[in-house]
Amino acid sequence: MKFKRLMAIAMAGAMTLSMAACGSSSEGGATGNSSNGAAAAGGDDTLVVWTLASDLKDFGERYQEKTGVTVETVVIEPADYPTKVQTALMGGESEPDIIVGEPQMLEDFYDNGFFADLDEMGAKDYEGQIVDYVWKVGQDSEGIQRAISYQITPAGFYYRRDIAQEVFGTDDPEEIGKLFADYDTILQTAQTLKDAGYRIFASDAETSYFSGDSAWVVDGKLNVNDARFAYMDLVIDLYQKDLTAYANQWSTPWYQAMSGEVPILTAEIQNYEDDSVNVWDAESFAEATADLEKTTVFAFGLPSWGVLTMRDNVGETSGKWGVCSGPAYGFGGGTYIGISSLSEKKDLAWDFVKFCTLDEETADWWIEFSEGDTVSLISALDKHKDDANEIYGGEKLYSFWLDQAQGIDYSKVTKYDKVINDAWGAAISSIKTGQASRDEALTTFYDTVESTYPEIQVTR
Amino acid sequence: MGDKIKKGILYLALIILALACLLPFVLMIVNATRSGAEISQSFTFIPSTHLKENWVRLFDYFNVFKGMWNSLLVSVPATLLGVYFPAMTAYGLAIYKFRGNKLIFGSILVFMMIPGQLSLIGFYQLCTKLHLVNSYIPLTIPAIAAAGTIFFLRQYILSSVPMSLVEAARIDGANELYTFHRIIIPIIAPGMATMGIMAFIGNWNNYLLPMIILNKNDKFTLPVMMATLRASLDIQANQGAIYLAVALSVIPILLVFTIFSRYIISSISAGAVKG
Repeated sequence: MKFKRLMAIAMAGAMTLSMAACGSSSEGGATGNSSNGAAAAGGDDTLVVWTLASDLKDFGERYQEKTGVTVETVVIEPADYPTKVQTALMGGESEPDIIVGEPQMLEDFYDNGFFADLDEMGAKDYEGQIVDYVWKVGQDSEGIQRAISYQITPAGFYYRRDIAQEVFGTDDPEEIGKLFADYDTILQTAQTLKDAGYRIFASDAETSYFSGDSAWVVDGKLNVNDARFAYMDLVIDLYQKDLTAYANQWSTPWYQAMSGEVPILTAEIQNYEDDSVNVWDAESFAEATADLEKTTVFAFGLPSWGVLTMRDNVGETSGKWGVCSGPAYGFGGGTYIGISSLSEKKDLAWDFVKFCTLDEETADWWIEFSEGDTVSLISALDKHKDDANEIYGGEKLYSFWLDQAQGIDYSKVTKYDKVINDAWGAAISSIKTGQASRDEALTTFYDTVESTYPEIQVTR
Repeated sequence: MGDKIKKGILYLALIILALACLLPFVLMIVNATRSGAEISQSFTFIPSTHLKENWVRLFDYFNVFKGMWNSLLVSVPATLLGVYFPAMTAYGLAIYKFRGNKLIFGSILVFMMIPGQLSLIGFYQLCTKLHLVNSYIPLTIPAIAAAGTIFFLRQYILSSVPMSLVEAARIDGANELYTFHRIIIPIIAPGMATMGIMAFIGNWNNYLLPMIILNKNDKFTLPVMMATLRASLDIQANQGAIYLAVALSVIPILLVFTIFSRYIISSISAGAVKG
């Protein structure tokens, strides 16, 4: 009988629990996601958006306000997004009307035919209204338009104007850009700054967005050209010649370097070989590094969305920053919107894509709403080209980013980039820390590429 | 005296172990009260004052209680089905002697070794054809075929149910189903509870399949909802909210565990056959 009594208790427990859950859910539902409820109730006039960036939720709400079409936005975690879309579309799912992708996912999506042909919908008419590289990234290998992004993500160097003035006698972005013109010049600049008591970068990964001006894979062959090796040498030199503050990108000291002085870490601390310093904890970090020499960092290399990252972290140095170009044109990230090839509401979906990417009013709204994201619509960028950003010393960032974006060569993007870049980065860091010799590291790199992508021909 | 020292050392070791097990939970609860910036900057056991802020932010994204309710709708049926039917199968395989018994058991063992992720696309296709996408049926009914539970319970029955008990029941005129319900289940209940707790935790935390099968925000289970917090640009600011969500999601597991673990202990001490 014990079992029965136990079951009774368990059932009662489950019931109270579910009742509690019910009570609160109706309460929260009223205040919380009312848009979701409405979307579920809506019938034919609902547009379903599957996205990995919650930006599109805001776009969806805006579209709903403007047109009255119910938009149901389903946000999926970026890491699982490709799995979700692949399974659903290969399984013949017609529910999502809008699907999105980041540059490194796009080629797979194109090859599998997930995106509908936008040229059929009339995308050709809009050619030239969007920054060129974004337009090209949205095309498959046959040049058919499949997706469009609402933002551009060109990379640049964010530098301290006051330090530039002191060390180089000018803070003009054009002039400072010359100090980053190529890898050798960057090394020289780094040395000059070190002699003046500053460090050029907080980490040695700052140049990564400018690392290659060629494609990793050309005609099915792995392409490691001289520029790649030059980049490798640069990173190794920055590290071994003691030219950075030895912070790791995205760690606490790296963020701290945006707002002022940071201690110069040692190579051991950077590699976490010495556990005595917890780089993730501001207080214990300050304590442990009290005796270390302090320095101020000159520059950060980030894509245009770094404008927002910097804004949140610069603190008192706000207004003292500037942005200039790097040794090569590069970009990082970006969300590309397209229509699912299985969607039954392609016309409505196309209207939504146009609304998000090609509508000047939306672009204006997004610039304001996101507080400084960089849109891809040329007319909007033109309109805002004289907008001065006070955090960056009144620099006119939109025209700067437009210039940078126009220099980007889209053709060097391949679907292999993520894996190959990671492997190349791993090779570089094992060489710079002396864990492996150059030959060993390169062998590991080639092996990794060969085993991950058997279809790529590797010549060592 | 020596005994006392020994005991003292033992207790000390146990206390340290218990602390080691509890600390992550405490940390999680403390972090649920701190802001994202605080979390990424340092690590402490002193609660901060941002609980309300995290709560508001969390509920701004989705309704946690709705997610819990959805998760319960999936995990309770899946657990009950996933324990009752395997127990029946295990009983059949352990007690009845029939041709093909070994073969069936062998094939169940083989199926245990195939990871479910392999057939994901096929499973999704099947669900689309049967119009089961966006429903909880694909998440609950297949739980009946729990190969691992069958294997475990079969071994458990072989070791804890004496054949004489079944024979006694038959002589007294109980039919087979009655025997199973009234005599076998109480004996193997500890095993069932163990597998039940595991199944519940597994179903409650299941992420991949619900993520694939469910396409509507209002059908999402808790783990799928929580993952969407990471899709935002404000990952740093969301840290506190993520901790809060995780802390809330653990509560039902703790409840189930406290209820059923007591049962595991009480049943083990009860003997079935006297003498």
